[in-house]
Amino acid sequence: MYANNQEKTRLNIQQYIASGIIESYVLGLASSDEASQLERLLPFYPELQAALSDFGFQLELFAIQHEEPPPPGLFSRIQDKVKDLPAIRERPSGHGTRNGGATGDDYIPVKENSTHIRVHKYWRIAFIVVFILSKLLLAAFIYYFIQYRHSEREMRLLREQQIKANKVQLSPESQDNDK
Amino acid sequence: MLFSYVQQFVSSRREAESLLANIFIRLASRLDAAFESSLSVYCWLQIEARKIILEHRRQDGVDVMSGLGENKAYYFSLLEESSSEHRWVFRELFIHGRQREDLAREAGKDQAHIEDLLKECMQIIRKKLG
Repeated sequence: MYANNQEKTRLNIQQYIASGIIESYVLGLASSDEASQLERLLPFYPELQAALSDFGFQLELFAIQHEEPPPPGLFSRIQDKVKDLPAIRERPSGHGTRNGGATGDDYIPVKENSTHIRVHKYWRIAFIVVFILSKLLLAAFIYYFIQYRHSEREMRLLREQQIKANKVQLSPESQDNDK
Repeated sequence: MLFSYVQQFVSSRREAESLLANIFIRLASRLDAAFESSLSVYCWLQIEARKIILEHRRQDGVDVMSGLGENKAYYFSLLEESSSEHRWVFRELFIHGRQREDLAREAGKDQAHIEDLLKECMQIIRKKLG
């Protein structure tokens, strides 16, 4: 019984959609009674919402296909005029408000979740300079370290040679030879 | 996108520009309603834009019978293959914003006949778009 009723309702909804009510509503041609009836039914019938979204999407596609760009500069003129509107002009600069700038003290609570920071662009140059300097210093350190090790080894060799030479001079064989 | 839509209602491009600016200025403070609507933002904009255009034409005393923008085609082009009666109903209701009872009176028919024609127009448009 319930299943039958459901089927009947579904059939009626399909007939209702097929009547062209969705198209009339989206184009603004539905009478106030027709519009309020559709708005009442919408939350209860997902088919209606789907048909409405589908037709809206088709209209948007049609609009994109038949788009004619407005003359250049029109958008900026509109933007200037919109900015001059009292409700928008009163909004304090740099601070968002909840109700379109109606009350200047009403701040939007912003929760900071980001792990990134924004810094001045001069920091990029400073970072590059520091990076290059650090690389130069590292290269210089490695060069002088190698030089130091090299000279240290030479010093050791010289010292060993000197010791050997001293030993040869002090040995009895060399003294006899001298005699 | 809205500029082409506006052009179907008016005769000149200049008038369409001025109307488009007017539409955005008037709707700027009401955009919240677009997001609360069951329609997409673009469809909401179209409906509200049409109301403003028709209101502007009435205020300026533009003759509703002057057949201004239908030569710009747009939605009207979807009814090219339909009968002249269908095109007349759609043009008068959509482009000129006339009432169904006015059309019924003018055609010498009852309102149900005009509503049937409108339904058929909507079905043709859906078929063409789909």
